Amino acid sequence: MKILNCPLNGLRNISEFVWGGEVKPMPDPGAGSDRDWGAHVFLENNTAGVVREWWCHVPTSFWFIAERNTVTDEIIRTYPAGELFRERVEFAARPKAGEGTR
Amino acid sequence: MTGMNRLPAPAGSLLDRGKTIAFQFEGRRYEGFAGDTIASALAANDVWILSRSFKYHRPRGILTMAGLDANTLVQIGDEPNVLADRRAISAGLIVEGQNYSGSLEHDSETWIEMFGRFLPPGFYYKAFYRPKGAWKFWEPFIRKRAGLGKVNTAAHHGYYDKEYLFADVAVIGGGPAGLAAALQAADAGAEVIVIDDGARLGGSLTYARFDSNGRSGPALAEEATQAVAARANIRVLSGAVCTGHFADNWFAVIRGNRLYKLRAKASVIATGALEQPAVFRNNDLPGVMLGSAAQRLIKYYGVRPGRAAVIVTANADGYAIAVDLAAAGVAVNAIVDLRPDVPPSPHVTAAQQLDLRIIKGSAVIEAIPTLGKRGIAGALVSPLGDDGMPDPAAESIPCDLLCMSVGYAPLAHLLHHVGAEFAYNSRTHMSDPASLPAHLFAAGSVAGAHNLDAVVAEGRRAGWAAAHDAGFAASAEPPEPIDRGGLHQTHPWPIFPHKRGKDFVDFDEDLQVKDLVHGAADGYDDIELLKRYTTVGMGPSQGKHSAVAAVRILAKEMGRDVGSMTVTTQRPPFIPEKFGHMAGRVFEPERRTAMHHRHIELGARFMSAGLWWRPAYYGTPADRETAIPDEVLNVRSNVGLIDVSTLGGLDVRGPDAAEFLNRMYSFTYTKLTVGRSRYVLMTDLSGAVMDDGVACRFHDEHFYVTATTGGVDGVYRTMLFWNAQWRLNVDVANVTAAYAGVNIAGPRSREVLQKLCADIDLSPTAFPYLGVRLATVAGVPCRLLRVGFVGELGYEIHMPAHFGEHVWDAIMEAGKPLGIRPFGVEAQRVLRLEKGHIIIGQDTDGLTHPYEADMAWAIAKSKPFFIGQRSIEIQNAKGLTRKLVGFTLADASAPPPEECHLVVRGPDIVGRVTSAVRSPALDKVVGLAYVAPDQAEPGKSFDIKVEGGRLIQATVIPIPFYDPENKRQEM
Amino acid sequence: MPFGLLKYGLSRRYPAERDFPWPTELKRSYDVVIIGGGGHGVAAAYYLARDYGITNVAVIEKGYLAGGNTARNTAIIRSNYLTPEGVRFYDESLSLYKDLSNDFGYNIMYSERGHFTLAHTDAAIRTSRWRAEVNKHLGVDSELIFTDEIRRLCPSMNLSEDVRYPVLGALYHPPGAIARHDAVAWGYAKGAMMRGVEIHTHTEATGILIENGRLKGVETDRGTVYCNKAMQAVAGSSSLVAKLAGFRLPIRTIPLQACVSVPLKPFLDQIVVSGSLHIYISQTPRGELVMGGSTDPYALYSSRSTLDFKEGLLGHMLELFPFLDNVTVLRQWAGMADMTPDFSPVMGLTPVENYYIDSGWGTWGFKATPVCGKRMAETVATGKVPDILEPFRLDRFVDFAQVGEKGAASVGH
Repeated sequence: MKILNCPLNGLRNISEFVWGGEVKPMPDPGAGSDRDWGAHVFLENNTAGVVREWWCHVPTSFWFIAERNTVTDEIIRTYPAGELFRERVEFAARPKAGEGTR
Repeated sequence: MTGMNRLPAPAGSLLDRGKTIAFQFEGRRYEGFAGDTIASALAANDVWILSRSFKYHRPRGILTMAGLDANTLVQIGDEPNVLADRRAISAGLIVEGQNYSGSLEHDSETWIEMFGRFLPPGFYYKAFYRPKGAWKFWEPFIRKRAGLGKVNTAAHHGYYDKEYLFADVAVIGGGPAGLAAALQAADAGAEVIVIDDGARLGGSLTYARFDSNGRSGPALAEEATQAVAARANIRVLSGAVCTGHFADNWFAVIRGNRLYKLRAKASVIATGALEQPAVFRNNDLPGVMLGSAAQRLIKYYGVRPGRAAVIVTANADGYAIAVDLAAAGVAVNAIVDLRPDVPPSPHVTAAQQLDLRIIKGSAVIEAIPTLGKRGIAGALVSPLGDDGMPDPAAESIPCDLLCMSVGYAPLAHLLHHVGAEFAYNSRTHMSDPASLPAHLFAAGSVAGAHNLDAVVAEGRRAGWAAAHDAGFAASAEPPEPIDRGGLHQTHPWPIFPHKRGKDFVDFDEDLQVKDLVHGAADGYDDIELLKRYTTVGMGPSQGKHSAVAAVRILAKEMGRDVGSMTVTTQRPPFIPEKFGHMAGRVFEPERRTAMHHRHIELGARFMSAGLWWRPAYYGTPADRETAIPDEVLNVRSNVGLIDVSTLGGLDVRGPDAAEFLNRMYSFTYTKLTVGRSRYVLMTDLSGAVMDDGVACRFHDEHFYVTATTGGVDGVYRTMLFWNAQWRLNVDVANVTAAYAGVNIAGPRSREVLQKLCADIDLSPTAFPYLGVRLATVAGVPCRLLRVGFVGELGYEIHMPAHFGEHVWDAIMEAGKPLGIRPFGVEAQRVLRLEKGHIIIGQDTDGLTHPYEADMAWAIAKSKPFFIGQRSIEIQNAKGLTRKLVGFTLADASAPPPEECHLVVRGPDIVGRVTSAVRSPALDKVVGLAYVAPDQAEPGKSFDIKVEGGRLIQATVIPIPFYDPENKRQEM
Repeated sequence: MPFGLLKYGLSRRYPAERDFPWPTELKRSYDVVIIGGGGHGVAAAYYLARDYGITNVAVIEKGYLAGGNTARNTAIIRSNYLTPEGVRFYDESLSLYKDLSNDFGYNIMYSERGHFTLAHTDAAIRTSRWRAEVNKHLGVDSELIFTDEIRRLCPSMNLSEDVRYPVLGALYHPPGAIARHDAVAWGYAKGAMMRGVEIHTHTEATGILIENGRLKGVETDRGTVYCNKAMQAVAGSSSLVAKLAGFRLPIRTIPLQACVSVPLKPFLDQIVVSGSLHIYISQTPRGELVMGGSTDPYALYSSRSTLDFKEGLLGHMLELFPFLDNVTVLRQWAGMADMTPDFSPVMGLTPVENYYIDSGWGTWGFKATPVCGKRMAETVATGKVPDILEPFRLDRFVDFAQVGEKGAASVGH
């Protein structure tokens, strides 16, 4: 059983966590082609090596970021999501149907 | 009488000769002492055949006496494949041999051996398939012959449990290296746990011979054992096998019926090395055993391993064994040493002093079987030429015991399990660990230290390093040993193929030298392919005695250097572990609502909903067909009560609460007034429908959002996931378990509720449909929701969970004069279907988007964003491929189709029925189904394929089926 | 004793014909290079040679022959899928499988056992009926059955209601089978090499040569190989090899673990799968119980084993077969599964012209080996994707046209 260091709860068995996949920034949902959006939704880097990914400590529902080597399973660093996501995210009002370029 | 072969003390250190124990083997009664294993007690009674081999049904007996081979597998009652050299005897134990026809002694299937030449490696690939389908004929014969022990399918699950252990430093192996490591780490201040599979600590110190008088081993073991016992920070688990090693120093340890899961900050693997057999003709017969096995029989169990012995050796240990045997009264007829030149050693000197016959530069090329081949009568010994090949002229030396002491292989399984790398040491002809993962250390012969001083010194160093790694600042690092030993210990080629075969490399699988040679000749000349093709190393002992020889043979066949061969990886477990150990007591969580016991009293039949138990209906299974419609009709015409505690509840609070819901769900919530509720529909990033419920606004900055029973945990986690990125000023709490809930539904529900709730005005104008209130019900502060899943006037009442039963009782009491009845999930499903409400997961699948589910009404068109928005727009723009519609059957008297009967058009599947029922209120079949978009208009008809492949005609009708104007729920 | 074995016993010399020819030099160019010498790769090579006469083919494999997921899978074959696309595809695989031993002259020990997918919840009953109805409509033998029938077919299973998740019913698929997984790949390799295909093991692809969007060759750790066409069939490494060719896949690589017991005398004929308990079990001709569960909880390019896998798996196993508590686990291992969002594979064209892909096999690649090999060979040989593969195109994701097999494949073995 691996141990994961939760930034909120400290060292815990990895069975207490849920994996959330690689951190991938969302493109502007109002821009870009349909295929680009489809690519964002479905395609993965699936990196072999150190990746930045989401984990959630289930009993406390705390989401955070881990840097983990997907070949050796070594966890290099964990930290709160706030280190990566500092700003409040806003979504621009969308053009009315027909006005867009899509 | 506990055996003709029993030796007097001090032999038999594990025996309690005061306690005699009787048991049965193969229907005969035997006696042994407390402390005996099955194998030792039988050996004491001169019983040497323990099993019959997998393929040729050859007799097999003691090989390692360490529980590390498959020769000793026996059946005990319902328990197959028990290691007879590890399992202790107990009073009345009934033991049987395995894999024979007739008796163990006289197996009628030994004829198979005669046909061995027709059964080359992988013989089953080469035949049994012509003509087509032939395998169907042959397979049952082969299956019946295969397999070892038997299971009794009527047996019950026994008791097993689990315990967690924690240590700063775990030491696996209580031999000289492990004990030195444990003491060193303990002295640095670490909490240490020692796992040892022996009955007593000391490992090889307790059976092997280290000096000429044989006293230093036991003395050192005693000294170290006392030192360990004197330290409060060392805990010892004896008789415990570490079967697996996993990431972050996580160990599986089995003792008795318990699985220990041991977590350490750092660990020291000191598991030692295992003697390897020599390969020669009939090397598998009872009477041929490892030298260390003979020593264990003598020292541990006081059993004389034979009357007359020949020892084939290539190291000093063989001489030590000879001395031990002689001391035990065994006539040592010869020590056959593969080496032409024997380096000096105290053991060699001791053997010489006993005038034992030493034959240098020679090999045992065959064990001569007794008549009937149930044991051995002698050894054929040949001098080896300069090329290492035995001379055909051989001398026959009588013996009933043939000890093999030609070298070792490290027991490195626990290092393999975590990905350690190894390098072949061409000096010692053994593999040494080349790199170890972090926080892991190895010491002793598993790690390339072979003389006792080096083993102890390296043990100290590993203990020091592990303690240091675990954060214990220790004194100076202990010094390195001067000489790690290992020279003249392991022979590089103790293999003497015989032209008539039966020169076994793998005892488990009955594989001879030629089988491996032929496998390579067939083209399977990569060690992994050879292993898979011939099954070498695939049997119960997983190559512990065969892997080294197999690699040597293949290297020779390929003209390659052994060091250049890849080593096959050892995977867990180290020795077979019982399913019961892994399973333990099996805890399956379940959740019960606050009113669970009331449901039992009311005769509920329960169904599983996620982890929860919910009443399906009230009544016995025999009443099912009437109970459900009765519950339905009572709601429609009167008043019913259902426990909805399992529904998810999420409190969303903060200045951004409405904005947050706008992003999570497809509707808009910013303009929802306080005291009102609105439907919520969640989609994922691909636009697929995930969950639904209602959002109730109790305050500008507080929404109470419901979610489905099975979906709430995921919904909650998804919400927090997105807000970890959005950073909105909102707090989300999963209050599902904090609230119990009921839905009181039916035209008379207001009447009932009025009796219990005085602090708010329940009139339709003051508290209209979709309104939400905080109110006191039966004295309990509650959240009241006027929502209508079932399509009647109704109230959902959410109260603190510990008042759930109280409120339930109060409502049932207040409703009694009006004929209130509880209703279950089944009735609720009928009621909601009459209203055409979908159930996520039943009327949708993992790919359904809202337009397909005919939920365009739930999509806000002009929001900047919600999670599935873009994907839903893309899919909707492409045009639908299916659509969910309401239907009834053309034949009004036809029974309803089953859920998941298909909607077909000619050969094509265009959709399926997701829900269908004969509506008690409408007295016709109504249902929901996916159909082709061109079939989706009301009035269109489509075909459903029902039982027996019949087609029935259905007609699309508008939803809701019941009370189309929704007047009843808005009363 | 079958005649086929006589020659081994009667001839003085052991028959010296190798199943696989001695290795040769890696040439500078081939008509087709297949990256990945597992079951799928060698099957494609076999059909290219046999059906299209394309024999100037090199299969390159970074490890030993069929040593990846082919060596690690639990060898279950069935066609009881949920989508019509899936059912048609796997049904063709099943019919090919039945003839393989005789095609090869090599016994793959194809053994029809019957396959149960147990349902412990009413939702699972619904999914079972859905699959049964789709299967029957397409001519595949499947039926939703209930406990009386299960008890008759598999009397040793615990059908008591006094357990946490009682069995309510099962999807029963009589054609469900097992085969000797290694033998399937070896038979294909033997047949392909006999026809002139070269298989180069211990040879790793390190780059894909592309000019103007068109394939030119494959770089390997033994030098560059030029070719007209290439195909990747590298389960567990699909994203990494695709990355060499410059595109991404809808795949996450997640370990799938399995374990095997010490051999026992036969007592279990069928293959039993439980989606709710996340387990499956079958008994091999050798008598071993082969068992597995669902995929690991997170992505990893490693075949390490875990203890928690065994604890969970065997805890649930004893609910179904309580009498197995004294039976022992002999070995555990793991493979790397390429999981797609819709639990269907990805086959056919790629953004690179003349470069083809065979990936996304999740936990169900073995059962597709023959059909995938045959149809991928057709794709490579003709440059046209056959109808049966079309639904599984890579583009289906960005086009929002998934083939939803989740209901049939969550513990889909």
